[in-house]
Amino acid sequence: MAELQGLGAELSEAEKAGVQVVAVSPDPNERSHTMAKGLHLGYRFLADRDLAVCRRYGLIHPRGGPNGEDVPRPATVVLDREGIVRWMSLSTNFQVRPDPGDVLRAVRALGA
Amino acid sequence: MRATPLAVVSLLLAVAAPVAYILLIRVPIVRNHPGAYVAAFAVALALAVLALVRGRGRRWPAWIALGVSALLLAGGTWFNLVVARVPMTPTVLRVGERPPDFTLPDAEGRPVSLAQFRGKPVVLVFYRGYW
Repeated sequence: MAELQGLGAELSEAEKAGVQVVAVSPDPNERSHTMAKGLHLGYRFLADRDLAVCRRYGLIHPRGGPNGEDVPRPATVVLDREGIVRWMSLSTNFQVRPDPGDVLRAVRALGA
Repeated sequence: MRATPLAVVSLLLAVAAPVAYILLIRVPIVRNHPGAYVAAFAVALALAVLALVRGRGRRWPAWIALGVSALLLAGGTWFNLVVARVPMTPTVLRVGERPPDFTLPDAEGRPVSLAQFRGKPVVLVFYRGYW
């Protein structure tokens, strides 16, 4: 969720009300939920336990997990009001995530 | 130039770089530049070599600094370029296109579809879990 840190702080209340964050992870929900509280964003956590959606989207890092299991390839995607992709960032190094400022600019470009 | 102070600086740098990276992992500019700690290991190694080649006095601290920085440089480079690398994947996501809809359970187990957020800009984040 590193990609979202700072986003909540930088958006105005009106902007926060106008943006929906949809977070998809195989992680058990409770921890993700706790984390989301600090973000102050319209936020829905969705559990992709068996990575079915990640697989359909082609976002799998094969055997990338600590025990050699498949894990999601970290990705951040900004969709406009019609559900069209307007900006995206796919990770090539799991330490590196998109700069929250870049996500913010992509969201603001939609007039959120 | 005395060898020991140089060796101490080398050791401090080699230890401080990864500690600082981990402590500041939530600061995007730090997190997004993991190459910085690898560069710090390389500088620490250069300082240890300098201490051995040009330094006067006791040599064993410089040898320790050399060993530590060389190991960290090798390990850090391997971690950054091999372990942390995420392979390119044939994603269906394209800028300008609508990705396929999906339905997944939310935290309370209720089914939620991507399409139901139409009308609002959406930041869709795929992540591995806690980190």
